[in-house]
Amino acid sequence: MNPVAAILILAGSAVALLAGFGLVRFNSPYARFHAAGKAAPIAFLIAAGGASIELGANDAARLLLAAAALTLTLPVGIHLLFRAVHRTDPTTRPAVDELAGQPIDPETVPSSAHPPDGEEHLHDP
Amino acid sequence: MIASIAIVCFVVSGACATIRLLVGPGLADRVAALDVALMSLMGAIVVRAAGTGDTAYINLLVVIAIIGFTATVAASQFIENGRGRE
Repeated sequence: MNPVAAILILAGSAVALLAGFGLVRFNSPYARFHAAGKAAPIAFLIAAGGASIELGANDAARLLLAAAALTLTLPVGIHLLFRAVHRTDPTTRPAVDELAGQPIDPETVPSSAHPPDGEEHLHDP
Repeated sequence: MIASIAIVCFVVSGACATIRLLVGPGLADRVAALDVALMSLMGAIVVRAAGTGDTAYINLLVVIAIIGFTATVAASQFIENGRGRE
């Protein structure tokens, strides 16, 4: 195996280990989401970089597509998780909460949260 | 040799994600754990392709990435509208 590819793959797997340990060891959900939302895509990026050096240009293009699909979409999903926890779980708060006093924008609340007028909620949450 | 070490590291990361999946106090932690598990699966696929040269499964990665993202968004909407609370 190409030495540079081997180093990058090992570095990527080390970062993946950090993501896993971070997910287990952190105590507040906000800290855990950082492990899931940042460390994991970076681990995949480094491993994919190493693998694309090893494999030909054809597979490197596919790896680039997968890496782009991952790093562009997953942090957004994890950010939605941050927002969901922030809105529904008043017990845990991040250390610095800049959204503390601000009202919630009604457009961003999912439509199923408030039923259309006159229609009773089918089953209360 | 290098590839098998890296795959073991990704498997351990997936095991940590399953620990958080089982333990996780809230639904959101479990969704994040599922994401890390999917990520370690993708990493293991990449490392296996680099180690053996068999690049049949590389196209799978984009599918896993998009499905993981969609699942996270769906779950966060589910949590946010109040039905996900214990």
